[in-house]
Amino acid sequence: MSRNTLEKVLYDLSTSGANKKKFAEDPDKFLSRYQLSDDERALIRDYKVRDLADLGVNTMLTWGFWLQAGKSNRDYLKIMKREEA
Amino acid sequence: MARIVGGFVAPHNPVMYFNPQGATQEQSDACYGAYAAMADRIKELEADAAIVIGCDHYILFGTECLPPYVISTGEIEGPVDQLPGLKRKPLLSHGALGAHIAAEGSRTGFDWTVGRALNVDHSVAVPHHLMLEPTGKDIPIVAVMLACGVDPYLPMARAWALGEHIADAVASFPSDERIVVIGSGGISHHVGDERMGEVNPAFDQKVLDIVTRGDKDAMLALTDEEILRDGGNGAMEIRTFACAMAATRAAGGRVIGYEPVEGWVTGMGFAELEVAA
Repeated sequence: MSRNTLEKVLYDLSTSGANKKKFAEDPDKFLSRYQLSDDERALIRDYKVRDLADLGVNTMLTWGFWLQAGKSNRDYLKIMKREEA
Repeated sequence: MARIVGGFVAPHNPVMYFNPQGATQEQSDACYGAYAAMADRIKELEADAAIVIGCDHYILFGTECLPPYVISTGEIEGPVDQLPGLKRKPLLSHGALGAHIAAEGSRTGFDWTVGRALNVDHSVAVPHHLMLEPTGKDIPIVAVMLACGVDPYLPMARAWALGEHIADAVASFPSDERIVVIGSGGISHHVGDERMGEVNPAFDQKVLDIVTRGDKDAMLALTDEEILRDGGNGAMEIRTFACAMAATRAAGGRVIGYEPVEGWVTGMGFAELEVAA
């Protein structure tokens, strides 16, 4: 697992509208640009923010990643607290 | 020569903009009143320029390059993370002062990363919006960004030393300009983790006491472990307070306001720093 590349993906998604659009259209194609394992790709594709944070990914990025997808802050906090969202 | 005539520490909370209802009316009035009081003081101090010490939130600098400290030497634009009522725009820059500080740093042991056309985030744009614009003067700024949000964090002692270096450099800048320094950061707050929404008034009060006592030893004694435990990852931003304290020669100060606003996920502390003669 590479915290660095996971953070790179989330940074790229949080700072570029073009990247957000590409990810929304075809997540697997977008993620194929990065040096990620299959498991890592799945964590991002499935918005597993708790698992990403557990791997050491900066939570400023996990929070921004979640919100940029239009998901609710309430659900984010439930997931981070390991409650069911 | 130029001189630092005033200093301030204040939050740069974006939640105020996108969720104003998160605070009670009394809390909101107290916070906006504190910003207004600081703007009044900056006007009274007849400031010609401001050095705004902020911190990246993993918005400006990515995994490719994470600088420990950055200074603007040319144009400034922001915030890149636009907020309701705070749109991205050019901010008047004092490029000559920033370039002078960077050059003095190179000579004295502070190898600044420079932003010759620097984008800033809300950590610079919010104090600009709420403390400088209300003065009615178009006050040029130097933007300083410290590594407070993304590891490796700038060590607290280095933030302090950087503030002392800024003071020395300003004192050798060939002009008669009056400069204010703003340390921009929230006290207790958790950004994006499972404790987001927790505020710790005891920790906030401890920090404000240290700031207003001008207590260098106590500030440097705050370990990252203590800050993360008691204040949260967002509280690492108090490195900006340390830098501003040192830039004003740690002469103490006074609290202008404090509100623990859980709905804004932050201990909101405001203080004015005295400047040593």
